Amino acid sequence: MTHHLIKRLIVATALCGAMATAASAENLRFTVWTGSQAHLDMLNGIAEGFAETHPDVTVQFDTIPFGDYVQKLTLQLAGGNPPDLGWLLENSAPAFVEAGVLADVGDTLNATDGYDYADLSEPAMGLWVKDDAVYGVPFSTSPFIVYYNKSLYDAAGLETPTARAEDGSWTWEQLKTDAAALRDADAGVWGYETVDGQGYGARVWHNLIPIIRAYGGDAWTDGTCQFDSAQSVEAVKLFHDMVYADGSAVPPGEQGDFFSGNAALTVAQISRVSKLADVDFEWGIAPLPSGPAGEAATIGQAGVVAFAQGKNKELASEFLAYMTDKDNVATMAAFFPPARKSVLASDGFLTSNPAVTPEQMKIVAEGIESGTVLPSHERFPQIEAEARPDFDALWSSDADVQAVMTKLCEDIQPLL
Amino acid sequence: MSAARTGPSLTLKTREAISGWLFVSPILAGFLIFFVGPLIAVFYYSTTEWNLLSQQSSFVGMDNYVDALTRNDTFWHVLGNSLIFAAGLVPLNMALALGLALALSKPMRGVVIFRTVFFAPVITSAVAWAIIWTFLLQHESGAVNQALSLVGIDGPNWLHEPRWAMASVIVTRVLKTVGLNMILYIAALQSIPRDYEEAARLEGANGWEIFRRITWPLLAPTTLVIMVITVVGSLKVFDHIYLMTGGGPQNATLVLAFYIYEQGFKFFNTGYASALAVVLFVLILALTILQMLLKAVRK
Repeated sequence: MTHHLIKRLIVATALCGAMATAASAENLRFTVWTGSQAHLDMLNGIAEGFAETHPDVTVQFDTIPFGDYVQKLTLQLAGGNPPDLGWLLENSAPAFVEAGVLADVGDTLNATDGYDYADLSEPAMGLWVKDDAVYGVPFSTSPFIVYYNKSLYDAAGLETPTARAEDGSWTWEQLKTDAAALRDADAGVWGYETVDGQGYGARVWHNLIPIIRAYGGDAWTDGTCQFDSAQSVEAVKLFHDMVYADGSAVPPGEQGDFFSGNAALTVAQISRVSKLADVDFEWGIAPLPSGPAGEAATIGQAGVVAFAQGKNKELASEFLAYMTDKDNVATMAAFFPPARKSVLASDGFLTSNPAVTPEQMKIVAEGIESGTVLPSHERFPQIEAEARPDFDALWSSDADVQAVMTKLCEDIQPLL
Repeated sequence: MSAARTGPSLTLKTREAISGWLFVSPILAGFLIFFVGPLIAVFYYSTTEWNLLSQQSSFVGMDNYVDALTRNDTFWHVLGNSLIFAAGLVPLNMALALGLALALSKPMRGVVIFRTVFFAPVITSAVAWAIIWTFLLQHESGAVNQALSLVGIDGPNWLHEPRWAMASVIVTRVLKTVGLNMILYIAALQSIPRDYEEAARLEGANGWEIFRRITWPLLAPTTLVIMVITVVGSLKVFDHIYLMTGGGPQNATLVLAFYIYEQGFKFFNTGYASALAVVLFVLILALTILQMLLKAVRK
């Protein structure tokens, strides 16, 4: 009888223990736009590291396709089903900060042992800090770089962009010349493909801003539109000529995929290296070409944020702090160049991705040091929509670039 | 003494009514929860200035309607695009559906295969359909222009030229949806008694006269149904626009349903988007009633 009683007590205690564990287990939901298995493996590795100090916490990474990301995230927030954490792009950050939907994680970051907040580059934190509050930490401050098909360059006997960048002759004019020379219609090879092939639609800003800045122009400065400046217009004319005068760029209405080997050059960020793992051609990377205004590295930025309406706000802030500490930023640096000065300066960063040589990673580091983040604004969606038909008007062979850019400025100026 | 008088106090009619209500209650509940409820909510939201992102809302009365109808030029452009889309799609869809139905309603070898071929796009994913047609309509390497080049025609950049983009979306949409109308017409044609046609032939009527005086009038109720659902579907078009043109180029294909989506989910102007949705609802309701009235007057 006593024996049975002891057995029952042991079982009851074990059940209570299991129930207590179940009650304290937490699941953090984290929305991301990457579907890359390499990226997800890395993120899950970071989550496993967090579980070492938080054994009852699991982190679930939900992929939302890039094109729908902001809309679906907004619906989740509005529908009362917010994720705990998420990624956010530079062009969405001001609107989200302004709307008050992001949690202030400043206190948690400062309270985390060894976090070293001062190590985060101040310019890189610009979009994510308002007054004394910290609404996110950029995990990717990634300059746009040129990817080129080295096999095609070698076959054509052309000097590579890497070599030209070293001797100072890597310019947008040169890229245009190279692209025209490497275009091989019979083989189905295009010269230059715009960012992700979306440079006439979703990524028209990513496509044109780097060229415009290399020519000394910009989207706007101090609330004044600069798309219609002589420098901006000259830059857009150069790209327009690539499409319509010499046919060196994949035109609107055509598909050319650099990563499948049917375009010689493209512009993308270092995260796209993950698409080059199994390609059957040699490739290289080079900095963005320079222009009359010199080099003008352009950076796309994305931050990790915790949502104010999240069910586990405190825990989410702790995970955010863990994910953006020095060790994990160094891990993520393989794909996502960091905003941490110490990691950028380290040899570890240069060797963080086995598919990328230290010399190539140095191009990325230099781009971060000298680059400027893409334009952002709290009314960016409206600006983008207002600008869209004007950008569309560029894509015909007889477009008057100056007139289009003047109209563009007239349309977006009231929103700036 | 009848069974009804000795049974429960409820009359047979009442019991039947209760049974009927019980049978329809699941669908009625769904209708109230998922249609009437949101409809009323949209009317309410349309009188507010509501930011979807920040969840801040304030009552503004009819301001959203006034803004759309009197101050927003884009609204009228978008409304015009929706009407152009409907005006292009409805006659094309119905004419093609009727033609196919007439051709495929008669017994002939392989008729089932032909019907399946034309109906298959209806059950194909809209996403897959739009993506495939985006490839087919590529400027130089697209199959459509490659085919045109064989007969010496230099095809346009279909989805990237404002004057061709709307026509391209209309035609691809027609090809996607015509199969459903074709099936409805085939069903209607097969319900017309053969005797009418045989009697007319005995009287010396030719094929065109039989169609004009017998077939077409007897198809009238089906034509009305098809017209209503096609008009409503065309005014609500969203997926093809979203996937093939994104409203471009130069807003040439920016239709009302897509504009509502942009206002609500990209700019977070949920109150304004609700007002536009109410306008779309009223437009569809008015056009539907008009079609019914025209049919009634003709009778």
